[in-house]
Amino acid sequence: MPRFLHTADWQIGRQYSRFEPDDAVALAEARFTAVERLARLATEESVDAVLVAGDIFDAQTLSERTLHRTFQALSGFSGPWIMIPGNHDAALAESVWTRARRIGAIPDNVHLLLSPEVVLFEEIGVAMLPAPLTQRQTHRDLTAWFDAAETPSGLVRIGLAHGSVEGQLAEGIDASNPIAADRATSARLDYLALGDWHGLKQIDERTWYSGTPEQERFKDNGAGQALMVALNGPGAEPRIDARQVGQHAWIALKRQLSVPSDLDALLAELEALPPMSVLDLTLQGQLDLAAQQRLEQALGAAAGRHRSLQVDMTGLALAPTADDIAALHADGYLGNVITELQRRQEVEGEREVAREALGILAGMLSTRRPANHREAPQG
Amino acid sequence: MKLSRIRLNQFQQFRTPLEVNDLGDGLNLFAGPNESGKSTLVRAIRAAFFERHRSTSLAELQPWGDSSAAPEVSLAFTWQEQEWRLEKRFLKRQRCDLVAADGRLNGDEAEERLAELLGFQFPGRGASKAEHWGIPGLLWVEQGAGQEVRDAVGHASEHLQSALAGSLGEALGEVTSSAGDALIQQVERERGRLLTATGKPTGDLREAQQACSTLEEEHRQLEEAVKRYQASVDRLGELRKQQQEVDAARPWEAQRERARAAQAQLEAVETLQAQQAQERYDLAGIQRQQGLYRQQLQDFEAQEQQLEKRQRAKEKAQQELATCQGNDDAVRQRLAQANAAYDEANARLTTARQRDHRQNRQSEHDQLAKQVAQLADTLTQARERRDSLQQLAEQQQAQAVDDKALGKLQQCEAELGKLTAQQQALATRLGYTLEEGQQLALGDQMLSGEGETLLLAEAELSIPGVGRLTIQPGGTDVADLRRHQQRLETERDALLQQLGVADLAAAEERARRANELEQEKQRTLARLEGLAPEGVDALESEHRLAVQRRDRLAAELAQLAEREGAQPEGEASADLPSVAQAEAALGHAGQALTSAEQAEVEHRQALSLAKQALAAAQAEWQILHDELNAPGRQQRQQDARDALTDLKVEEERLTATLKDRQRRIDAANPELLAQDVARFTQAAEALQRHAQERDAEITQLKIRLETLGANGLEEQRDEKRQRLEENQRRYDQLQRRGAALDMLLTLLKEQRQAVTVRLQAPLQKHLSRYLSLLFPGAELTVDEALKPETLIRPDSGQEERGDLAALSFGAREQMGLISRLAYADLLQEAGRPTLIILDDALVHCDRIRREQMTRILFDAAQRHQILMFTCHPENWQDLGVIPREMHALTAAT
Repeated sequence: MPRFLHTADWQIGRQYSRFEPDDAVALAEARFTAVERLARLATEESVDAVLVAGDIFDAQTLSERTLHRTFQALSGFSGPWIMIPGNHDAALAESVWTRARRIGAIPDNVHLLLSPEVVLFEEIGVAMLPAPLTQRQTHRDLTAWFDAAETPSGLVRIGLAHGSVEGQLAEGIDASNPIAADRATSARLDYLALGDWHGLKQIDERTWYSGTPEQERFKDNGAGQALMVALNGPGAEPRIDARQVGQHAWIALKRQLSVPSDLDALLAELEALPPMSVLDLTLQGQLDLAAQQRLEQALGAAAGRHRSLQVDMTGLALAPTADDIAALHADGYLGNVITELQRRQEVEGEREVAREALGILAGMLSTRRPANHREAPQG
Repeated sequence: MKLSRIRLNQFQQFRTPLEVNDLGDGLNLFAGPNESGKSTLVRAIRAAFFERHRSTSLAELQPWGDSSAAPEVSLAFTWQEQEWRLEKRFLKRQRCDLVAADGRLNGDEAEERLAELLGFQFPGRGASKAEHWGIPGLLWVEQGAGQEVRDAVGHASEHLQSALAGSLGEALGEVTSSAGDALIQQVERERGRLLTATGKPTGDLREAQQACSTLEEEHRQLEEAVKRYQASVDRLGELRKQQQEVDAARPWEAQRERARAAQAQLEAVETLQAQQAQERYDLAGIQRQQGLYRQQLQDFEAQEQQLEKRQRAKEKAQQELATCQGNDDAVRQRLAQANAAYDEANARLTTARQRDHRQNRQSEHDQLAKQVAQLADTLTQARERRDSLQQLAEQQQAQAVDDKALGKLQQCEAELGKLTAQQQALATRLGYTLEEGQQLALGDQMLSGEGETLLLAEAELSIPGVGRLTIQPGGTDVADLRRHQQRLETERDALLQQLGVADLAAAEERARRANELEQEKQRTLARLEGLAPEGVDALESEHRLAVQRRDRLAAELAQLAEREGAQPEGEASADLPSVAQAEAALGHAGQALTSAEQAEVEHRQALSLAKQALAAAQAEWQILHDELNAPGRQQRQQDARDALTDLKVEEERLTATLKDRQRRIDAANPELLAQDVARFTQAAEALQRHAQERDAEITQLKIRLETLGANGLEEQRDEKRQRLEENQRRYDQLQRRGAALDMLLTLLKEQRQAVTVRLQAPLQKHLSRYLSLLFPGAELTVDEALKPETLIRPDSGQEERGDLAALSFGAREQMGLISRLAYADLLQEAGRPTLIILDDALVHCDRIRREQMTRILFDAAQRHQILMFTCHPENWQDLGVIPREMHALTAAT
């Protein structure tokens, strides 16, 4: 009874440009470690093979170092790694695969299925029906040939494909490579391992998307996992088991701060988030200076706890209270300036600049020495 | 606040007390030379207020050399209608007592009170300095410090702020508050790190901007490189596909096959074409031969026609010859006639000419004879004239008189005459009337009767029986004249001798005669010349020549007559025509002869030609005739006809064959076949070449892609994008910060300005009031720190602006004083004490300015007590106060 680890969409080489460089580097690194964890998991579970359903690489022209690193990450599992090219790493005339082969990076236990024909793995009792992508974009169903393909009767029929199942809501799917929704049935497959959808998704009992092993976008779709697939024999129903592989949760929060208690709630929520997450926080509303300070502090602490924290406060207005202003000793015309800046925060187009100006002024006022008329004169 | 009394003791030069009483409420003028203690007095007042009584660093207040002295100052003043007294002692037994209406204060408390009242502060330690002096520092002008007012305002600003209570004070406080300024400066600094004064990015912001654009460019380039790479990969895929599909089929071989087929067909057609060409050639030959035979037959016909023509020609020639010969006689006769006529005309002409010649000679001879006679006549006359001329000349010679001598003679005579007259005038006249028979002897002369004598020289008159009278004519002149007369007479005589005449009249007569002769000579000469212009000799020779000629002609005529007589008369002279006529007749005859000769020549020519023509025609006809009658001609003609017929048949045959073959050839369309061959061959070659090129391109692409692929282009590009976005975020941040700082700065400045304006107004008002007394229409602006800044004066319609610092020393002094007075007014309005002390404050004023300043001071003194110290009391007589003499004060105490 063959057992597999089904994974896909490693997207090695993906760059995270919207993050700070340090975070970006760490997140890119995380993709390698995810593969290492997959290898470890495969070994621990003693699977017969690891099925990788395309988009191993995020681009064709990666550096040699990246290629080497990727294949070395597989070393944790010495069994067969069965891979097909996806749309990002399609098997073009010249592709990341031809290069990898040229530089000798591909180890022997990696089986790259580059042509649409049956490949038998008798030692593990598997007949693979791959639907590799050999073009950047395909608009026809590359799995169509499955239906007519003959395999020896004793072997489990496993399909390996990369594309979007027709009829499903195709949000966020990269390519337009269609796959018939009933392919598993029409091709008498025991299991159809799919890639391209980055989240974990079941299509039917025998057709699943494993999703990417390490989440890489703010979508709550079960990414960051891999599937353990156990088949009792040809025709048996597969037993599917999802395993957490990913390290970082990607969480996007949008919160409104109107009253002080909102801030408390937000801070509590921040505290409760799992550590080493990737956070995207959008805040709107308004704060007084004290609250502003509290928020700054909390965000600083949070940034230290998590993999990355990005905060959008363009919709957040600074509204110092009378106490705030008094505490700053902003008398006379300084007070007028503060009032004016508050007013401008209401004006569309000037809001952000006014807010920042007010913040700067508040900062300067709070750090200067309080004026004492009787002290050493400077006039 | 008004000081009423000042007293000092042991204070610098005043070792003994000095007291100043009865200070007035307004202007108090203190005068005195240098070193008289004016400034010491001021120093004392200042020390009383500014210096702590406990200060130890005031040694200079002690009189020189007296280190045990304890300088003392005591002041009495009124403030808000209360009397105050201040007493201070320094260095020894220090004390400070302030007595006010509401109690006494001592020591530090007293000093604090003073400071609060006047608006200044005490130093933490050491001597008091400018920054401590506050409001009094502004209003009490030290020597040589009048022109610097800005610093004083600065030092006093805080005090001014608290002194000017209410909104003014607040405003002043904010405006001059160091905190506000520092804040603005801080904001400006921060802004300056990101933006230039004109709002352009600088510093970090500019760097971020540049980094963004650089990275954008680099990213773009990488993106393009990636695209190019991808395009190359796609191309490689395409080419591979093509290679597989197309090249496997080896399409060029099919093309070659078709080319070969077409070639075979083409060759078949070419064979036919060759045959066609050959038969065409044959046909052409046949046709040519036909032509020849036809030509031959034509020639035969032509010949027969020709014979006819020749026959006609011969007959015509014969006719012409006959005609010509007929003309022969006529022509000859005409010629003979013409010749005869000509000869006759010629003979007549000769005769006429001869006659004329003889007649001419005769007349010539007659003419000459006449001429000779005339000449002889003339010659005789001329000779006569010549002789008479000669005679006259001789005569004249005899009569000649030297004109010059004659002239002189005449002159002499004239002078003598004159002299005589003079003598007579001068001479003593002796008139005498003697009686009958009486006589007188005058010298040699005997006088009797009546008469008159002139006495020119001494004369003796002897009267017989009486005696002798000696008469001396008067004057030396007489003697002179006498001498002169003698001289002249001598001269005259000489001349007469020279001329060879007896007297003048004779000389004149001779001259006249000579003249007459001359005239006659001239007349004769003229006549001679009329007769013989060239002279008689010429006339003689002319005559001689004429005679010779005449004789010659006579001889000639004789000869002619002889000759004529020998010739027969031929015709009567009367019938003889004139030469002209004869010549004309000869001319006509000549013409007739010429034409007859011409006619004859022509006739002979024509005759000869006709004969020739006939001969030729005859010959030709004969030739042809012979030819036509030659044997075998008939036969040849017939042969030609037969041959022609045969050829025609052959021709038709060939034509048919040719047409048939041509049809076959056209059907095959050899041009198209040739094109096909070329086309198929080219296609095959192109396909093969294409395949080779494709192979080459594939190889090249693979190599290039391998090389490029090693660069990791997409990875680079993504890294670049990452850096770009990072930089863009930074740029946005900085930009926002820059905008915020900009907005903040603008607002701060605006608000501050608004506040400043509120305060400037009252200050400006006071300044203008004083200024109008100095420069009508002028304005002194104050800056945000309320320090005087720019003086604007109207200058002939325009404004002249000058920064205070740029004005002359004198003008700065004046502006300084005016500003202080304006502040004093402000302070007074706010209910604060305003004592003004001017120590030598206006030293650089011209007279006019001083007058204006006097008015200003007078005006200010209406409101404030002013203590004024000067070395030049004479300058300030218009102030309206009597100056207090320092030495008087000193002496008094």
